[in-house]
Amino acid sequence: MSNAAGDGPHPMLRVPWELHELPNGLRVVLSSDASAGVVGVNLWYGVGSRNERPGRTGFAHLFEHMMFQGSANIPKNGHFELVERAGGSLNATTWFDRTNYYQSLPSHQLELALWLESDRMGWLVPALTQETLDNQREVVKNEKRQRYDNQPYGDWDERLHAMVFPPEHPYHHAVIGSMEDLDAATIDDVVEFFRTYYVPSNAVLSIAGNLVAEHALDAAARWFGEIPRGGPIPPLPGCPELPPRIGETVRDEVRARVPLPRTLIACRIPTIHDPQFHAIEVAGAVLGTGRGARLYRALVRQRRLAKDVVAYVYPLTTGASMLVVWATGYPGTDCTELEAALVQQLEGLTSVTDREVERAIALTDTRFVRLLEQVSERADMLSMFTLMFDDPDRVNREMDYIRRVTATDLRTVAQEWLGPDNRAVLAYTPDS
Amino acid sequence: MSAHPTDVTGSLVDRSLPPAPGKVDSFGFPTVHSSVLANGLALRVACLPRLPLVAVALVLPAGESMLGDAHAGHAILAGDALEGGTSARTGSDLADALEGLGAALRVSVGWDATTVSLTSLADRWEKALALLTEVVLQPAFPHDEVVRVREQQLARLRQRAMDPVSLANDRSAELLHAPGVPYGRPARGTLASVRRFDPTAARTLASAHYRPRGAGLVVAGDVDPDWVTRVSANALAQWEGAPAAGRHFEVHPRFHEATVHVIDRPESVQSEIRVGHTGVSMGHPDYHALVVVNSVLGGAFTSRLNLSLRERHGFTYGVRTGFAFRRRAGPFSTSTAVATDVTAPAVREIVAELTQMAEAGPTEEEMEATRDYLAGVFPLQLETTGQVAARVAELIVYDLPDDHYRRYRDRVRSVSRDAAAAAARRHIRPAQLTVVVVGAADQVVGPLEALGIGPVAVHRRPPGEPAPGAPR
Repeated sequence: MSNAAGDGPHPMLRVPWELHELPNGLRVVLSSDASAGVVGVNLWYGVGSRNERPGRTGFAHLFEHMMFQGSANIPKNGHFELVERAGGSLNATTWFDRTNYYQSLPSHQLELALWLESDRMGWLVPALTQETLDNQREVVKNEKRQRYDNQPYGDWDERLHAMVFPPEHPYHHAVIGSMEDLDAATIDDVVEFFRTYYVPSNAVLSIAGNLVAEHALDAAARWFGEIPRGGPIPPLPGCPELPPRIGETVRDEVRARVPLPRTLIACRIPTIHDPQFHAIEVAGAVLGTGRGARLYRALVRQRRLAKDVVAYVYPLTTGASMLVVWATGYPGTDCTELEAALVQQLEGLTSVTDREVERAIALTDTRFVRLLEQVSERADMLSMFTLMFDDPDRVNREMDYIRRVTATDLRTVAQEWLGPDNRAVLAYTPDS
Repeated sequence: MSAHPTDVTGSLVDRSLPPAPGKVDSFGFPTVHSSVLANGLALRVACLPRLPLVAVALVLPAGESMLGDAHAGHAILAGDALEGGTSARTGSDLADALEGLGAALRVSVGWDATTVSLTSLADRWEKALALLTEVVLQPAFPHDEVVRVREQQLARLRQRAMDPVSLANDRSAELLHAPGVPYGRPARGTLASVRRFDPTAARTLASAHYRPRGAGLVVAGDVDPDWVTRVSANALAQWEGAPAAGRHFEVHPRFHEATVHVIDRPESVQSEIRVGHTGVSMGHPDYHALVVVNSVLGGAFTSRLNLSLRERHGFTYGVRTGFAFRRRAGPFSTSTAVATDVTAPAVREIVAELTQMAEAGPTEEEMEATRDYLAGVFPLQLETTGQVAARVAELIVYDLPDDHYRRYRDRVRSVSRDAAAAAARRHIRPAQLTVVVVGAADQVVGPLEALGIGPVAVHRRPPGEPAPGAPR
């Protein structure tokens, strides 16, 4: 592959960064880009659904909602009000390994974001009330209904995780959790969770965009510096160690009110820290990204067996991760036929060609440069690479790793990870 | 709560007030170079040298609203079938050629236009443009591929009929508009009209609507405008003609008084709610005032409706309002999903908030906050070459003046409270709301009737059957 920028590396394709650590352990990553008119402020906390103890599934996400309910100096919803008023946009997401909070603002409003984020990192507890907890519990339950319970196939993610990861593993349960556990959550749980995980030493603050590094660092130190470091993070509940493969083909066959048959296959794969992970990502793109991808070409275009196809690689960190492929059939399609077709494509990766690998890498390349256009994405990637790899410069090497992947690597991946001893099959058949 | 070693009690900095903002950085919409090629094609080039990327969008006068009811969905299907290949290469070869350049082709079809677009690295954009041009000017529409996209669409219609969000959107559109208004059709067509799509229909549509007059090419990114003009003129020199005349229609509501419709979906654990009526077109003089009104009412997180339904009552994960500004009057709609047992209270709150806005308009404080929000957030929506290209394409689709976006922030900032209140009074009409609820009819009908908004009709028809009459 040629270099993404043609004759010489484009100066903007290198993301500049500087990493600082405040005395309380908060890591601060700064990335200046004078051509941006805006600034992205992003925090990753090293806590997600994997840290939830039994009986409290869904709690990390409920807690994320509580972070918008005010802190000592900010009223309920003040965070949203002040950022929107300043012409910014903001949100937060909870995942298995982390929770992120982010806002993009006109660059002259940088300090506003630092004030808001530091107030809730340091002074959340004084603002907690039973009323806001009850209110957000209802909001989250409605989120669960809207995105999962009221949706055809809405429980697919939960069912796959339950098969790919053993009951004692922290990824066994879905991030959204259960209604019963959400009901059981108390204010004491919120306080304990906050004091344990929402501490400077368990967080990364990234600021990217139109900024003067010296001023931004000074401001970050001023607003966050006096928050105490916090104690050590407790070990994960359950048992994060697990065998590298599932050991067999496990199945879950569901008759449900779904419009069309759909078969999903998940494989247990190495984590994002494993050197093979980039090859698995490319394998995912060969199978599922774009109209030239194998699943689309074979199942949708040539055989007309599937109406749509998907391939996705989860970037997980703990013990193992997961690759998912799926195909949705037409009315009357047999789920076992979809399964056989998907299996054929997983196993067929052993015949992948150089051109297919080049196509997948070219698409990934463009997608990566497009991500860099947004300061919010730059800040998010810097937080991720710093929290998960302790190395913000990974952002500048990631595409090099991807470009080095070869067809031979993909053949190895297919043989090692996508075989019949490592599959979870989930099949939805319409019940009417 | 007891003190804890990690709690901070005091603070050395004054945290009681928001910090003062720094120096404001100027923001201008990128300069757009406009020209017209010899064949009538409008060319718009926006120079954004920040990253080595180029976004290309070809906007065609092929919108769904231009088609008769018998052909509903055919512009979307023709757009889907473009990936079937060209006179020079098969569909698979086309995908390989484009994606080998790292450029994924995207075809999006709305009520007013078909847009074929892609983003590529700057050193490959000319090759990508040549392929995009080949796709639009020489589509092959081979039988197998046309049949495939038709079967995919039929399966998708089946999915939409069971998906509460699509069902609510489609049924709400149908119930808002008088029969014969294209905006009342399901967005992707009906089973009958989709079944009519074949290679001849695809070729007829392309030949009638994929024409340079009335079309536009947008190129945004790290490019030189003169070079773009030369390359484009060259690539598109063989393309000729004017599109078939667009279908003329006016937008009328189906009902002239408030009505409530329950679309029965017995397995629902939640109700999908839509509340609205017919709205205004993109070119309407109240456009900027309505952008402000909508933002106060339901266009942002801290809007009135979200603070009430989500943050005060916990009824929902979120609620939004929106005016669909189209070439003609698109609908005004409120959208949310709530737990089944609070369906009627949620509808009551929505109607109360809409009524309050129609009667009194925004407050001076809300006006100030919203003007700041809209003016500030505008640059955030223009960070990427793709976002800029999409906005420039809208100038062509809606016949907007070239300085529309350059003046947008000033126009929004200059909306007065009185102007906003007057626009709200004119364009939010509580007495004519159509309420559509997709949910478990046996649990929600009684409480909805008790609200007294208007007659409540229950719709239990399976998908694909004739539209219902007036509510009982």
